[in-house]
Amino acid sequence: MSSPASLGRVLTALADPHRRRAVELLRKRPRRAGELADALGLSAPAMSKHLRELRKSGLVEETHPDFDARVRVYSLKAGAIEGLREWVDEMDLRWADELASFKAHVERGRGKGFKKRA
Amino acid sequence: MTSSVLVALRVKASPERAFDAFTREIGEWWRPDPLFAITPDGDGVLAFEGGENGSLVTHLANGKVFEIGRVREWRRGERLAFDWRQSTFAPHQLTRVEVTFTAVGGETRVTVRHFGWSEIPREHVARHGFPDPTTQIRAAEWWQRSLDSLSRRAT
Repeated sequence: MSSPASLGRVLTALADPHRRRAVELLRKRPRRAGELADALGLSAPAMSKHLRELRKSGLVEETHPDFDARVRVYSLKAGAIEGLREWVDEMDLRWADELASFKAHVERGRGKGFKKRA
Repeated sequence: MTSSVLVALRVKASPERAFDAFTREIGEWWRPDPLFAITPDGDGVLAFEGGENGSLVTHLANGKVFEIGRVREWRRGERLAFDWRQSTFAPHQLTRVEVTFTAVGGETRVTVRHFGWSEIPREHVARHGFPDPTTQIRAAEWWQRSLDSLSRRAT
């Protein structure tokens, strides 16, 4: 989940507002595709396309209730969002390091702060 | 909209000088991070090429050039925005970096915001199916808790 490749897929999956809304709904409880489609005002084919993207990203998984194997229930995969968090944390540390390096560079006296450079 | 990464610090320079150093000299100050590289071949040497209509690229040791992202805003001494794509991201997947330069006394506050995607958390692509404002705020807070890191402020 935390590999960069899967992170790219997660970001791609969440770039769509309908898919983000679906994730928001699924964090409360698992739901059927039909329920999600109704809640989002989408057609069944459009919804299943979004759910396919969400499954590919590893954010969402599909299960079948014991009473009926034909029914598909979607739920948020445990730990899925944490991968995103890791990226954010890494990027945060990264930018903190880079900006510190930038500050050192600027204040090293190059150009004396205000001198024009060619 | 909420930022996923926010880092800010102050530098002893004018906003113009800070902007120039950020853009023209990025190849000198960017510190490669082997554990978290932009491409599998490392970070390479970064450069803003082409100014306001250009892009941020990196020149890799193997001679290849990887485009990290297009420049979206270029206001010298004020604001810089560019797309950010690591080589492992899907081709159309872009994140966005915004850098602001604000004069504070004789110094400049440089703030970097890195957005995980363009619009967090909410925009109305369709009126139907999107929740009422209260629910939206709650959802926004959840995204924020899920994604936001602590902001850092150095003086």
